[in-house]
Amino acid sequence: MDVHSEVVKVLQETLNLKPGARMTAATPLLGAVPELDSMAVVSVITTLEERFGFTVADDEIDGSTFATAGSLVEFVSSKIGT
Amino acid sequence: MHELEGFLLPLEGGGRFCLYYPPAGEAIGAALYVHPFAEEMNKARRMAALQARALSAAGFAVLQIDLMGCGDSAGEFGDASWEGWVRDVVAGIRWLRERTGRVPLLWGLRSGCLLACAAAEAEPITDFVLWQPVTSGRQHLQQFLRLVVAGRALGRADAQQAGTAELRAALAGGASVDIAGYPVAPTLALGLDAANLSLAAGRARVAWLEVTTSTPPALSPAGQQRVAEWRAAGHSVTAVAVPGLAFWQTQEIAECPALIEATASIVRGWGAQHSMP
Repeated sequence: MDVHSEVVKVLQETLNLKPGARMTAATPLLGAVPELDSMAVVSVITTLEERFGFTVADDEIDGSTFATAGSLVEFVSSKIGT
Repeated sequence: MHELEGFLLPLEGGGRFCLYYPPAGEAIGAALYVHPFAEEMNKARRMAALQARALSAAGFAVLQIDLMGCGDSAGEFGDASWEGWVRDVVAGIRWLRERTGRVPLLWGLRSGCLLACAAAEAEPITDFVLWQPVTSGRQHLQQFLRLVVAGRALGRADAQQAGTAELRAALAGGASVDIAGYPVAPTLALGLDAANLSLAAGRARVAWLEVTTSTPPALSPAGQQRVAEWRAAGHSVTAVAVPGLAFWQTQEIAECPALIEATASIVRGWGAQHSMP
């Protein structure tokens, strides 16, 4: 499974970003993407849980999880064990 | 079309509000709708009615039942339990069997899919229509609890912060938790927490339908995985992703015509097989 492109898809759909916008692992998220406020973080987590089929506990995530697209992909990969 | 029938099904704790859509023309099957939880139920009411009409027009006898404490049924939401809801679904199945002489297909939305699978254990159900199924009750509960936490953080910045772990501890200790205006009893939350989307061994026939805004429409990785597992276990699964909005959670009431068409088309095929000699 291409986790990176699935995660980018979730970000684009959840935050209503332009579909064509490119995101690399280094693309900064929190503090750089204005759409990503605290409620948006909640809906990104919820969407990732449902799309990938895992459950996130409070203490598994903090600001660093959402630092870049790459850090978020890394988190998802660790949850699904790839 | 025949007349829509509204009635109260007398069960433990009072009447459950039901809507019965008789089949138009010759009956080819029966279907029971199992609604989701809390606000998702209200958002989806219109889609449920549209699909029920479409199925009735296709020759299905359709029953919608409001579970205890939901919609127009008796009881308080805060007194509802997961086990009680499963029993309500079973009662709906039995009512349809008596009325139509057929074993109904179970058509669930979101957490309704978890209830449908649980109710099927007690009844000879073989056919399932699963709309955007919740695959893990634990995940679903966690998402509700997270909304509570996020809502509190927004509403009262100075309030004592309680995380989802604290809310879970409160439920485990026997306290109710208020989720978006719904008082959720431990018997409901803990039952949901333990629920999993699973089919009994055998040969179930499943329509797995997901609604997505991505183009081209594709099943979620979690959906693909579950569908593959069920196929490997011998179940017959038709999996479809249709374009549309998440009508069970959109701010405005939304419709998804592609989902109604896809669903009707799959179950019409099932009905045709049923009526073959």
